[in-house]
Amino acid sequence: MMRRFLIACFVLFAGAAQALAVPAIQEAKLSNGLRVLLVEAHNVPMVAMQLAMPAGSRFDPDGKGGAATMLATMLADHTAKHDDEALADWLDARAIRLGADADQDTLGISVTALTEQLQPALDMLSECLLTPGWDNKRFKVLQQDAVAAAQKSLEEPGVRAGEASAELLFGGHPYGHRPDGTPESLAAIRLDDLQAIYRAQLKPEGSVLAVSGDISMKQLLPLLEKRLGGWQGKPAKGIFDLASAPAVAGKSERIQMSTTQTLLQLVRQGPARSAPDFFPVFVMNHMLGGGGFSSRLMAEVREKRGLVYGVYSYFVPLAVPNTFAIMLQTRADQADEAGKVVREVMRGMAAGKIGEKELKAAKDNLIGSFAQRMDSNHERVGLMAMIGMYDLPLDYLQVWTSRIESVTLAQVRDEAAKWLDPAAWNEVRVGPASRNKGKQS
Amino acid sequence: MRLLQKSLGMALAAAMLLAAQPSLANPVSKLQQYDYANGVRLIVDEDHAAPDAMVQVWLKVGGRDEVPGKTGLAHVFEHMMFKGSKKLAPGEYSKKIAAMGGNDNAFTTTDYTAYFETVPSSRVDEVLGMESERFANLKLDPEQFAREIRVIQEERRMRTDDDPNSHMFEVLAATALQLHPYRNPVIGWMQDLKRLDINDVRAFYKAHYVPGNVIVVVVGDVDSKHVKKTVADTFGALKARPVPERFNPVEPEPLGPKRMIARLPAQLPLLAVVVPVPVWKPGVNDREAASLAVAMQILAGGRSALLQRELVDRQRKAFSVSGGYDPFSMGIDLWTVYGMLGKGQKPADFEAALWKLIDGMAAKPVDAQTLESAKTNMIADETYAQDSLYLRAREIGSMEVVGIGAMHRDDWLKAIRSVTADDVRQVVARWLKENRSTTGLLEPEVKS
Repeated sequence: MMRRFLIACFVLFAGAAQALAVPAIQEAKLSNGLRVLLVEAHNVPMVAMQLAMPAGSRFDPDGKGGAATMLATMLADHTAKHDDEALADWLDARAIRLGADADQDTLGISVTALTEQLQPALDMLSECLLTPGWDNKRFKVLQQDAVAAAQKSLEEPGVRAGEASAELLFGGHPYGHRPDGTPESLAAIRLDDLQAIYRAQLKPEGSVLAVSGDISMKQLLPLLEKRLGGWQGKPAKGIFDLASAPAVAGKSERIQMSTTQTLLQLVRQGPARSAPDFFPVFVMNHMLGGGGFSSRLMAEVREKRGLVYGVYSYFVPLAVPNTFAIMLQTRADQADEAGKVVREVMRGMAAGKIGEKELKAAKDNLIGSFAQRMDSNHERVGLMAMIGMYDLPLDYLQVWTSRIESVTLAQVRDEAAKWLDPAAWNEVRVGPASRNKGKQS
Repeated sequence: MRLLQKSLGMALAAAMLLAAQPSLANPVSKLQQYDYANGVRLIVDEDHAAPDAMVQVWLKVGGRDEVPGKTGLAHVFEHMMFKGSKKLAPGEYSKKIAAMGGNDNAFTTTDYTAYFETVPSSRVDEVLGMESERFANLKLDPEQFAREIRVIQEERRMRTDDDPNSHMFEVLAATALQLHPYRNPVIGWMQDLKRLDINDVRAFYKAHYVPGNVIVVVVGDVDSKHVKKTVADTFGALKARPVPERFNPVEPEPLGPKRMIARLPAQLPLLAVVVPVPVWKPGVNDREAASLAVAMQILAGGRSALLQRELVDRQRKAFSVSGGYDPFSMGIDLWTVYGMLGKGQKPADFEAALWKLIDGMAAKPVDAQTLESAKTNMIADETYAQDSLYLRAREIGSMEVVGIGAMHRDDWLKAIRSVTADDVRQVVARWLKENRSTTGLLEPEVKS
């Protein structure tokens, strides 16, 4: 049993590297404009890569949430030359891992291969990307499975809360639904919806191929040019072509489920990836509930009162402001009490009750743990794809620790005042209708 | 992977179940092993690629060491390890690790308890000092316990009581096994959690937290000679104490098929089949255990997995299907396959199709390409796993605590390579029989 869940701060972070020996990111451009970022690592005979394109769920047609994710699933499932079974056999025969997925902004195709299989791996990446199969029969099968999976996921309070929060905060805005979609929205998707996203958004310009592993740029570029050189064009919409949604505050939503616990989620819009105060707000959140056991929420709600197994806060920085959330689960009859404690913590920080010592502890933790945030090929690929997609400076990893170090107490207090007024937040509750129900177990 | 199947019960984590497929650390990297006079063992795997290190303290103590009526105690104890010692106040351990820029975590399973820290490599000595101090001088304060047991009850509500799939799997294990401790949930039955007290925790500490139960694993940017000395001064310096024998009974052979139904608030059904199968005993059943692992790879590993292809893609009996077998369990493993069923997909149809497929594997050897592909992927996994210090350290520790021994890891690879198509057929025919199985069904409660 895990004492603590692995807090999902890698999402909000997605920006960290080695304190001492931060590997340099090499950059190149193919003739078609595709940006290639590489970190060489020759300690394991493997290469990991991700092709990231601005084609995430914000491009889903209205009422068809999940379309970008379905497109990702289709691209990785079969091609014009290989049907789904042939593709699966081909990949497994070479131990090549190939998959695709979408978040709100980005559709990514990921490939991992042993160095000796790099060329076939690149062959199949380009085949999946450039010659999709668009098999309608297969689409129907994948769609049915996705609808069922989405229905199954309604058993999870976190999924219910996530969907409700997205809707509450973003309404009709492109961030107003989860990338996975709902049973209803998935059922409404047609094959030509996927083809439309594909034609408009999957283009080399504005996309990035992040690579980490046992290969040099000199070796890599001709291999890529040969396979991807014919891919041309610019997406209809770039990653930053999106207006922010209007702010929402003071709303609440209650979803009934027959559970013993109530899931309580406080939400508001948070900072965008490009926010000028990104580092100060990042450090502030680490102190609030992003830093696991060293955070205030964990100290107050779990350690002092035993109300929860976990409580945490996070924001997921995207092209424009996206969700900032505080979340906990507790026996239903304790939800009010836990919510009260959370709001007290918020108010305390917003009022500036933060000390130098606490700030230093947060910084020490962030800076010291920098190395382990990118000590594998998979982590490095994720970071580079993020850096490339959001156009962050290539020395982002090199300067990361100094950015954290330079955050001052005054800045953190300003951020807390700016973000943590409880009145600017909204509440989503998922749980039993009767508050006494939780007492049964 | 005992961790998930037996303790988190995250039945839906298909990918994680598959991670149970053995993935060995680098065959060229050489493990350094040292045994100290008091029974502590140290294993070091040096890797200088990044300036950090993973320190893991593994204990041969887990759910199986609890007595009836005290389920959950090993896990409660794991929580108490963070609640103060002679030198450290409650919570201070985690704070100190955080200040080093480290992350700490801990896991309890039926077979072991493990405490993990990832820290900059310059701090390894300090971590080992703190780990051995709390190991030797834990405070076990009643007030801390009273608060922590509430946290653990919330943990159980979150992971099991409010997750219909986990809840069904919990009952399924208890139905399938009569004697083996894998029948009890690591988190503990709620009825037991409500009755545990601080004296139970103290007795558990005294009996089981002894040097002879300790395996220290360090992977990363360290010098093994230096670590050897540090451990000699910390864990190695503790006074030797008697090591209690572990409860590892022989599970009675099933007399026929069993089944159970869990009617719970849920959206869609889930049907699982479990079968008790042997685990790896080096030098005794290498080929048999490896063949079972290869069989599971063929069924549920990779993109071309047979279960997915036949039951989901071709026959449309389920929308998702997964399986797992952990050859590094202790005593026995519950071989598991489950399917999640969509609207109109009937549990009985899925079950029939599943057994038809398994019986087919028992009757006829798989083709050469399928076998080769399965082995290629299992061997490649060993390389991919090297990408993570955590996976490398975990493999070493888990092989040690169940008595296999990390030094045998290359033998496992050899065994995998030697498996033939007929070996696979034989183990399926011998072990994976409906007559030996237990079937569990999560049936969504009909709303009245």
